This record gives sequence, C-alpha cells and structure tokens, in this order.
Amino acid sequence: MLEITGLSFRYKKSAPPVLDGLSAVIGDGGITVLLGKNGSGKTTLFKILTGSLKPQSGTVLFDGEDLLGMPPSKRAARVAYVPQETVYGDMTVCDTVLSARASYVGVRPSKRDRDAVRRALERMDLLSLSGRRMTELSGGERQKAAIARALAQEARLIVFDEPTGNLDIANEWLTAREMKRLSREAGVSILTSIHDPQLALALGGRFLILKNGKADAYGCADDLTGEVLSDCFDTPVRIVEYEGHKIIVKGEPL
Amino acid sequence: MLKKQRVRKKNVAILLALLVLLLLSALFCLLVGSSGMTPDESLRALFGGGSDAQVRIMRNIRLPRMLAALFAGAGLSLSGLIMQTVLGNPMASPSTLGATNAAAFGANLSLIVFGGGSLLIGKDLFLSGAGEPFAVSLAAFLFAVLSVLAVLGLNRVRAFRADAIVLSGVALGAVWTAATTVLQYSATDVGLSAAVVWSFGDLGRASFPADAMIAAATAAGALFFFILRYRYNALLSGDETAFSMGVNVRRLRALSLVAASLITAVCVAHLGIIGFVGIICPHIAKRLLGQDHRLSIPASLLTGAVLLLLADALSRLIGGGSALPVGAVTSLFGAPFFLVLILRKGGTNRA
Repeated sequence: MLEITGLSFRYKKSAPPVLDGLSAVIGDGGITVLLGKNGSGKTTLFKILTGSLKPQSGTVLFDGEDLLGMPPSKRAARVAYVPQETVYGDMTVCDTVLSARASYVGVRPSKRDRDAVRRALERMDLLSLSGRRMTELSGGERQKAAIARALAQEARLIVFDEPTGNLDIANEWLTAREMKRLSREAGVSILTSIHDPQLALALGGRFLILKNGKADAYGCADDLTGEVLSDCFDTPVRIVEYEGHKIIVKGEPL
Repeated sequence: MLKKQRVRKKNVAILLALLVLLLLSALFCLLVGSSGMTPDESLRALFGGGSDAQVRIMRNIRLPRMLAALFAGAGLSLSGLIMQTVLGNPMASPSTLGATNAAAFGANLSLIVFGGGSLLIGKDLFLSGAGEPFAVSLAAFLFAVLSVLAVLGLNRVRAFRADAIVLSGVALGAVWTAATTVLQYSATDVGLSAAVVWSFGDLGRASFPADAMIAAATAAGALFFFILRYRYNALLSGDETAFSMGVNVRRLRALSLVAASLITAVCVAHLGIIGFVGIICPHIAKRLLGQDHRLSIPASLLTGAVLLLLADALSRLIGGGSALPVGAVTSLFGAPFFLVLILRKGGTNRA
C-alpha cells in the first residue's frame, strides 16, 4: 500500500536529519506498529504522510500514486490521522466528526458527507452521544470521537500517533482493542506508533523499526525478539514467556 | 436524534433572540440623544415628519451614527472571531496583526505632517465639510494594510505558524506605536490634539459613505468566512489534524488574516480605535452557541452589533450633551466584563 523511498527530512538546514533516506514498504490491511526511540522520526514520518511537513527528498507512493504530490483533499481520502492528544473545539460530537469532511464540503454537506459521518459514529458506537458537546465527554469517549473524526474521511489508511500515550491502562487496552477491531471490521489499514513494546506485541500484526532516520527492521510480531528490541531501543530487553503471555523485561535491575 | 433536534431548536432560538435584541438596541440608539426630542418625535422625524431641524438630526446625525455602530460592531466582532480561530488563540483580536496601531500611525501622519498643508485636515477635528473627508481614513487604511501584509510576508519563512504570527504582530504594532509617538512629539498643538482626538474611537464621525464602506467590508467578509465555515471547524482540531483532513492550513490562515484585517482596517480608518468589541463579542457568541462556525459567525456579528449599539447609547447618556468617545466606553465597561467572563469556569482547550 505505502512505498516509501529515500525519504529525508531535517527541520533546519544546520540540524541533523530526522529522516535520513528512509525506505520502507508498508503492506495493505492489518496493523503496522512503528517502533523506535524518542526522536527516531516516527512523528515526523506521520506528519509527512498527512501533509503538514514536506520532505527535502524522497517519494511516497500510495497504491502506486504519488502521495506527496496529490492535492490535499485527494490525500485526505487516502490517509487520515489520529493525533496523540485530542484537540477539539467547543462543538457537538457530530459537528466535530463532520469537520473531517471540510475539504469535500461545497456549499453545504452532501448526503455522502452525512452518511460518512453517520457510519463513523456508528462504527465507534457514538450515535447516542452525537448531540453531546466534546467538552462534556470523558477522556476515553473523546479519544473515540477523535477516531470517528478520522474514520469520517473514509481513508484506507489511518495513522495513529501514540494513541495510548496519555491513557491509563484501562483506556489503553480499550483503545488497542478498538484499533484491532477497526483493522478487522472497517477495512482500514492502521499505521501506529506505540511507546510500549508490550502493547506492540499484544497488538500483533507487523512492525517497522526506525533507527537513525532509517528503517532498521521489518517483520511480523513473532519476529519481534528480545534481540531486535534491544537493538531498537539501545537498551537490554528480554522477552519471557509466562502462562502463554510474552512479557517484556526492560533494562537491567535498577 | 431527538436530542439533536432539540439542540438545533435552542440554537435557532438564541440567534433569533439576538436578532430581536439587535433591533431593539438599534431603535434605542436612534432615540437617545442630546436634542431633547421625545421618542415619538424622533420616530416621526426619521420618516420625514416634524421640523426641518428634527428631520436633519435624525437623518444626518443619528441614523448614520446608528448604522456605523451596527456595521462596525458586527465587523470588528467577526474579525476577532476569525483571528481567534485561525491563530488558535483566545486573546487574539482584530488588531493582533498590528492593523490598529498601523492605522493610528497613518492617521497621525496625515493629521500632523500633512494636516497644515494641502489636505486641510488638522484644522477640522471632526473631518466634516471642507477638505478631503477621507484623506485621514485613506492614510489609516493604507498603513493598516501595509502592516498586515508585512507581518504575513515575514511569516512566509516560518510557514505561517500561529505563534510566530502573533508575536510578530505584537512586535510590529510596537514599532508603529513608537513611530506615532515620534510624530506626536514633533507635532504642533493643533496637529497633536487632532491626532489624539482621532485615536478615540468615535461614531460621531460616521457618514453614509463611510457606513456603506464598513457595511460592504463586513458583508463581504461574513460571506467569505461563512463559505469556509467547515474549514474553520476543522482547524479547531489543531493544525496537523486539519492538514490531514485536506485543509491547506497555511493558505487558509493567511487569507483569513488578510480578510479579517481588512475589515478592521476599514472600521478603524473611518471611526478610530474602538477597543475590546472584537475580543469580547466573539467570546460571548461562543459562550452562547459554542465554536461551530455555522453558528458562531452569525452570533458574533449579532453580539458585536448589539454591544457597540448599546455602548454608543450609553456613551451619549452618560456624556450628557457631548457624547463620550465610544472607544472609551467599550474598554471601560468591556474590560471588567471580560475579566468576569474568563475567570468563570468552563471553556475548552482551544481558542
């Protein structure tokens, strides 16, 4: 689905590159987890894919089409985005989700826009909350609204930036389960960065490791060994099996 | 879905209530004045009845003044709303890009440097009759536009980041204010007093041609912003998310800032500096109806018009025979009200 070739990005001419000739292929369907240390370029890659940053060199093909050269509204129909922190205005859930159709709405929303919104709300089980204001929702509900907002773009790929970064463990697992459900039921592919290798293991699917601005390793969850993780994070990581679960043991004892 | 219909009904009711309030304020504004006419006489004079003097007071003084309050209030409030949205900053106002300070400089330049010369403006504090009635307005407008274009031009290199725009607007505004001070320091008594009087926002300067220009700028802006309402809603989700939704955030921000500043420039050029309307009224509108721009755009127009009409009526009531400059009234009463508004609980994480 995504074919990234020689992608390079630096924020300033004098600064070291964040992405340094990154090349990777991200397959269609399922979940691909992006792993890497802080500053390894995960968020930068996402910002390039969603159009808020332009790389200095390199190409990204989406099903063979040049993603970076497309008009923004066309790109929005291919890649949607769920930010780490849900930013929202004082509007109803329904209007917030409708705002994702901004680049399609002409004089007023078409039936297609309204249908996309209804389907997205339905998919996230938010129909009963659609008339509520975003300010009245709990953190978990707000996260679901942010996912519905991305779904309303009806894009094939949804990019999640650290979706569990700000959540407690209960909401973390709920969000991970929603992502898995979406990848299975809604026919969308998911690319997500995950801080916690434990959760990355649990999500299954494929993984891509970014290191020094390049793709360091790519594989399926079973290939994610202690050795690969140790190399990714530059710190000793072991995986132990306990009652059928894979448990990540991080670092040396303190 | 039932709940949604109820919400919609409530929103329409609030907008209608604001509209009724607008009509009442406009009427009230027409009936207040220092001429000692009764409301009955005022209304009759408006439609051509009564003495010549009464008709002239209503048609040539009160009516253009009322229309100026209505259109400028609406325009400044609309401009403030859009500034707050596209800069993601609740403290943004129509003059965030320095348009007001630049307009003040332009007016000062015209009054002080050219006032005694060919334009004959410095001698005529209220800019009516002799000379070029719009010379000062034109200078003020040109400098406001120049300043806004300069801020945006400078920010091209920073890809129109909201925080950089706000800071450079403040910085450039300070430059205009300093330049104004230098001008005033070297001014004659007449020029200086004309310049100081200009800087008080005063609806007494209104004339039908000025009203028409303010109305045209406000109406054109309102239409332009309303067409983009869903894009502004998308922007409430943050720059990055809006980009991912296919909104060209940089272009939207730059165009919106230019349009909002043009409305401000037209109002300030004709009427002088009227503070706080453009910052408070959008907040009142958002408190009442939320940030959905389908509602907040019309609501801001209405709250702005109502507030400036009432402030103008108040300025003439407490001013006795000579009306206080409305700019002083809006800031005097607006600032404490604004404090109450922001210190009350509530609000969101955006603008």
